[in-house]
Parts: sequence; C-alpha cells; structure tokens
Amino acid sequence: MAAATGNPGLSKLQFAPFSSALDVGFWHELTQKKLNEYRLDEAPKDIKGYYYNGDSAGLPARLTLEFSAFDMSAPTPARCCPAVGTLYNTNTLESFKTADKKLLLEQAANEIWESIKSGAALENPVLLNKFLLLTFADLKKYHFYYWFCYPALCLPESLPLIQGPVGLDQRFSLKQIEALECAYDNLCQTEGVTALPYFLIKYDENTVLVSLLNHYSDFFQGQRTKITIGVYDPCNLAQYPGWPLRNFLVLAAHRWSSSFQSVEVLCFRDRTMQGARDVAHSIIFEVKLPEMAFSPLAESSVDLNLKLMCWRLVPTLDLDRVVSVKCLLLGAGTLGCNVARTLMGWGVRHITFVDNAKISYSNPVRQPLYEFEDCLGGGKPKALAAADRLQKIFPGVNARGFNMSIPMPGHPVNFSSVTLEQARRDVEQLEQLIESHDVIFLLMDTRESRWLPAVIAASKRKLVINAALGFDTFVVMRHGLKKPKQQGAGDLCPNHPVASADLLGSSLFANIPGYKLGCYFCNDVVAPGDSTRDRTLDQQCTVSRPGLAMIAGALAVELMVSVLQHPEGGYAIASSSDDRMNEPPTSLGLVPHQIRGFLSRFDNVLPVSLAFDKCTACSSKVLDQYEREGFHFLAKVFNSSHSFLEDLTGLTLLHQETQAAEIWDMSDDETI
Amino acid sequence: MEEDEFIGEKTFQRYCAEFIKHSQQIGDSWEWRPSKDCSDGYMCKIHFQIKNGSVTSRPGASTHGQTCFPMEEAFELPLDDCEVTETAAASEVIKYEYHVLYSCSYQVPVLYFRASFLDGRPLTLKDIWEGVHECYKTRLLQGPWDTITQQEHPILGQPFFVLHPCKTNEFMTPVLKNSQKINKNVNYITSWLSIVGPVVGLNLPLSYAKATSQDEQNVD
Repeated sequence: MAAATGNPGLSKLQFAPFSSALDVGFWHELTQKKLNEYRLDEAPKDIKGYYYNGDSAGLPARLTLEFSAFDMSAPTPARCCPAVGTLYNTNTLESFKTADKKLLLEQAANEIWESIKSGAALENPVLLNKFLLLTFADLKKYHFYYWFCYPALCLPESLPLIQGPVGLDQRFSLKQIEALECAYDNLCQTEGVTALPYFLIKYDENTVLVSLLNHYSDFFQGQRTKITIGVYDPCNLAQYPGWPLRNFLVLAAHRWSSSFQSVEVLCFRDRTMQGARDVAHSIIFEVKLPEMAFSPLAESSVDLNLKLMCWRLVPTLDLDRVVSVKCLLLGAGTLGCNVARTLMGWGVRHITFVDNAKISYSNPVRQPLYEFEDCLGGGKPKALAAADRLQKIFPGVNARGFNMSIPMPGHPVNFSSVTLEQARRDVEQLEQLIESHDVIFLLMDTRESRWLPAVIAASKRKLVINAALGFDTFVVMRHGLKKPKQQGAGDLCPNHPVASADLLGSSLFANIPGYKLGCYFCNDVVAPGDSTRDRTLDQQCTVSRPGLAMIAGALAVELMVSVLQHPEGGYAIASSSDDRMNEPPTSLGLVPHQIRGFLSRFDNVLPVSLAFDKCTACSSKVLDQYEREGFHFLAKVFNSSHSFLEDLTGLTLLHQETQAAEIWDMSDDETI
Repeated sequence: MEEDEFIGEKTFQRYCAEFIKHSQQIGDSWEWRPSKDCSDGYMCKIHFQIKNGSVTSRPGASTHGQTCFPMEEAFELPLDDCEVTETAAASEVIKYEYHVLYSCSYQVPVLYFRASFLDGRPLTLKDIWEGVHECYKTRLLQGPWDTITQQEHPILGQPFFVLHPCKTNEFMTPVLKNSQKINKNVNYITSWLSIVGPVVGLNLPLSYAKATSQDEQNVD
C-alpha cells in the first residue's frame, strides 16, 4: 500500500483491476439474443466492450458492456477505448457452475501471449485487452449469473519500480503537456480511432512525439537505455496504474528488454471538467524491464559457447558488437535459413526476414527452418514461418517476418494503379526496414531482386552482405560502404580517376579502403533485367550442390562478424588472398571484400574489386537520382528495359565505344 | 394558450445539435446516438455517482433485470500480489442514464431515464426518488411531476422511466412567450431540460444558457 513512493528500487508495481459494468441494456439484449437467435447454441460469441480514461476522481475503473456489445461493428463511444472479449452463455445453471474456468482463462491467456510473440499485438494492440464473460440467463425469473475475467499475463517476478508514480505535472512542463495532448489527438485523428490503447512516446524539453507500437524500431532508434510508453489508463488512483498496462508490460519485456534496461510508463488520463481539459493528473513512473521467464538461464546457456571463445582463443573478441547487431535477411530460402541459423549461433538477437514465397514440398530438405507440415494447405509464408521457427529455437530472439515482394528492374509495376500503389508501399516498407537494421543480407535467388535493396542500403550507408550461388560456385561479399553523407559528396564516386592514380604505385588491389569497394553490380556491363523470362525450370531455380548454401550462408555471417570486429567496420581495408601470410587486421583474422568459392576444386579465393563509376546500383548517378526523385525514379527502372539504367549510368556509351574500338577478343585477365 | 409552442422533429434535432455542440465544448458528455436506420435518434448522457448510503439496493423488489452473483466455488485464481485491493467497491457506484427523444404525438421532447448499479441491477423508482433533493420533493408531489411512468424506450426497446410529455407544452409555452417578449433567443432543449432535469438528478451548468445568448450575439 504505502510501498509505491519514496523508496525507489525496492517497491513493486501493483495494478488496479477493472470493475465490470454490465449495462441494463446488455442484459436486455442478451435476453433477446438467447430467445431468438442463440436458443440452445452454447458456442462462444465475440463481444465488444469499452473503457474510459476521463472519469472524475473516486470512480472505479470500469469495463462497460452495453446493448451494442453484440455488434462487433458498432462504433466505440467518443474518446473511449474498445476491448474485445468472448461470451460463453450456458444453457443451464449447472453448466455455468461446472464450466472449466481455469481452462477458459488459460486459453485466453495463451491467445494474448501468442499475439505478443507473433507481433500481432504490435499491429493491433486491442488484442492485449481481452476479456471473458461466462453467463447464465434465467429468463423465467430474470436472474442473470455471470463471471467476468480480464486475463493478465504474469511476469515471473513483480516489477521493481525505479521511480515511483508521480503526477504528470511534476515531471512535464505545461508546454510538454500541451504538446502531448496535441500529439496524441493528432495520432488518433490520423488513425481514425476514438482512442489509442497503447502508444510510444519520445520527448524533450520542447517537443513530445507519440507513435503507434508497430513503428517501434524506427521510433526508438537512438534511444539508449530507457524508452517511454503510454497507456490509456482507466484508473483514477494516484498511486496505481490500471489493469490494461499489465499485458502491455509483458509485451514490452518480451520485445524490448534485450535492447533497453528500463521503461518509463505514462498512464494517460484525460478528462474534461467544466470545459477545461486536464491530463496533468496522469501518472508517470519508471520500472525496470525484466528479462522474460526463460531468458536469464537460457540466454546465458546460449551464449556459453561464445563466452568461452573469449577465455583463451580470442580474448579480445568484442561479442557485444555482434550480439547487438540488427540483421535484415532479404530472402528466407536456402541461403536465408542457413544465414539465420549461423547468426543465432553467434548470439544475434534481432533477425528480420523478408520473402514473398510460400513453403513448398521441395523446400524443407534444403531449408533448415522448415518442416514437412509447413508445406500443407498451400504452404505457410516463408518469412513468417522462419521467424516463428527462430522463436521456437530460442525464445529470446526478436525475430520478425514480412511477407512482401521486392520490386525489380525489368519487372513492370505499372499494369494498374493498384499494382503501382502496391509497389510504392513495398518500396516504402523496404526503406523502413533497411533504415531500422544495421546489416542487410542479400540472399535472394535472382540478380535483379538484389538491385533495389542494394541501392537503398548504399544510400542509407548500411553494411550489405551479399551471397549468391551457382551450381558449384558461390560469391560472398560485402558491398563497398560509401563515405558518410556529410563528408562532401564529391568524394563519393567521381573518384574513379583519383583511385586509379592512387593505385598505380603499388599492387593494383592492395589497401583498398571500404568506401572504394565495389558492389554486386559493379562488375557488370549490363543492367539487371528480368532473368526468369524465357528460361527453363532448371535455369530459373537455384540448382546447386546441396552443401553450397550452407557453406556460403555460413561464410556470409562469418564475413559480417569479421567486419564488425574491425575498428573501422564497413570502411575496413579489404584483405585479399595476398594478405594470407600477413598480420591479420582483426582478432578473427582477415576482412576480405569477396570470397569466391569453387566447390569442384574445394577452393576459395579472396578477390577485391573497385567501385565502378558506371555501376547500375551504387554509382553516384544512380544514388543521386534515387535520393532526389525517390519512387518516381525507381518506377522508371522497374517499368523499363535494361537501356534506361544503362543510358543513365553511361554504360550504353561504353558499349558503343567498345564496339567502335573492336576489342572483341580481350579477356578480363589480359587487361592491364 | 391560443399559440402553443410545439416544435417539429427537424427543429428538435437542430436544438439538440446546438446543445451537444456546447456540451462538447465543456465536456459534459451529451452525445447524439442515431437509431439503427439513422432516420432518427436521441440525445443521451451517462452520469456516475458514488453512493452515499442513502440508497439501498433491494434485490427482489426490482421489476426487471435483476442480477445475482454466483455462489463462491472451488475455482481459485492463483495468488496475485500485483493486484490493488483497495479500490472503491463497484456496488457503491450508481449509473444514471438520461435520454432525450422526440415525441411525434406530443411534438415536444421527452426525457427518458434509468439508474442502475454497475452490474446492471436497476434502481426502483422509489430508490431514485429517495435520491432526489429535498427541495424538489414537495414540488414533485404536485405540479406536472407526478407523471413519471415506466415505458419501453421507442428506439432501444428497453424499459425506461419517462417524464410523461402531456404537460410539457403547458409549462413551456409561458417560458418561451416570456423570452420572446424580451427578444431573447433561447434553445428549447436548454430551457426545458433545466426545468425537468433537476427532478431526476440532472443538473445543467449555467453555461448552456449563456451559450445560447452568445450564439445570438455572434449571429448579429
């Protein structure tokens, strides 16, 4: 009771429960439904209630069900927050009494937990506010029996308060409070909702920003140890938050405890009295984010092998740089599955998949995240199934899947306004995903699908690791990482002549820094286009020796880890095959630009190549156009043939010059 | 009495809209709820009061919708020390609901109302009258106030108490005549509710009256 204030760090958080408010109209409507519609039907029914955060002091927090509760499409009253539930109306008093309430409760709790794990609750936070209502209506006597329940997931231990609850006016200035009201109202309006049950907050002295939960990765970017979340709070007590916060904190612990130590909670209370709006009586406090039940032990066991590496073998290994990296895997096929497993082995906790395919019967034998049952019924979407499987392998991982297509050059999107709009959304989504991750893995099965992410990642200065397979050959490479934008754009790419001058003195490919390295497309003299047209099945599918994807996938991750261990990261000078005898640049050894493997000879080489000033993906001409025109430029690339990009970058001209000079017989090896 | 002050349904809705507009400004929660087919609707407000012990519940005495609690049983929830136990008991809170509808027969607004505990157990008329302030009680026994009956809500089809509209015109006519005389623009709903509301515990803030005269000034 008196625990909440004064004694930070010691007291624990308690929550005020809901009172159920069952309106006369609700019982009336239940009577009508039972008589005319349900009759003997005992099947569970969806119902809808609401709660309100604007009550005057002294009223208990209520979850209200009215006559409209049976109509799931009925509008929620103004400024109220909806809650969805399940009605179990029994036929007899006996079955009301004997109903297995524990089972019902467990089922509901499981649904909530699943929605937290799958990320569904981030998209639709109302899922956290589930309730159960078990009723028996004695229509002869007008007696109604009921049992109301609001399942709350329990954390293994109660939450330690770092900072006890205080009124918002003690923490926020008047200006900040106004900014909060304004930001909250605006978000409600743009979302077209009466209230936001849960939201994210970011503030400084002058501004307050709020965001939906599903934008958390962008929104929390740059936050260090603490995040702030908001909950629409029906409770009126100055010392306690209301019930809806409970499941939200479980979500927060599940999602964010790996990245943040504590969470500041704003219990948003918003009432209008005598014409004056008041949110200053909202309360705010800070709790320590607990590791989830399984985490502490499982996590330390998972990391055991890694930690042991640091004992003797690689004492200077900086594990944190690896474990904290956020990886985006574009493609969840043979390569994607193997990359993900190797990342898990390194203790990486944040893995996101993008793929548009469904799992087919031919997949599970080569793609180690899928099983036969995933193929049934048309197959599960790969990206989602892969994320689920990672959670099963280790629940502490923060894995997500996005079932989406990546628009490609030469694959037109302008068939209709619908397809164009879809492409625009896909591009936008991909841009957001790349922005919110640190390392982008290109693991798709066609050349052209790598183009768009290569361009976006180059523009956003993200480390790109690319892996591609032939039948018994593979290439694994890191793309050159352009210099940071503020450091004079002139340095970026028109540096080709300079670069050549640099290099004349020493060996051609020695000491090339990361920003001068080429990308996957730099060695090409044709722009990517539709490579699946006019091909037979064996030409379209990746037909490769089964071990190849595991080798290449593993090398891709190991390359990333070596890059991360280098103090200069993606700007690290590329190691080549010649460096094999020299002092290695990192505790793990070399940091190559490319690894090209030849399984027929069981041999790998480490070539290095320069960025090409006419590259169709990373040249400044392409990046400038992309940064200036955005989707407008991309749409032109998707919709036109090879020639558009080739004209833009000057490849067309190059072709003509080459033809004019009639240098037909020169092979690569013979160039000076 | 030769020129009676009836209002048409359109006029009624216009007055309501004006009334709700001010309510939204001061946040006292009147809102318009359309009927299913949206052809008509009603204005409503919900108000909660914490019981002060004057009203007692009488299970069995109520006419409709009585709720009983199931007896204690073996099912026990796991011990949860994260729950606050000192909150106000739900049974002490009373929910008042006021609906203003239009009566086609009488061509005047009608006040429907009901009161219940949070679990839906309704208060009887007697309970409600016991909650009415002393100063109205004497007047209640005479005047137009003896016309409270229980009726079905025409839109919801649920039982409500009604202040019967048969006398409305009788007491509204002089009020409106008077304001016409001093050339003051009044909202029929505001005037009418301020007369009938207090009888059943519904008090209108003074600002409603001011709002009407302000609008008038703005029009000028």
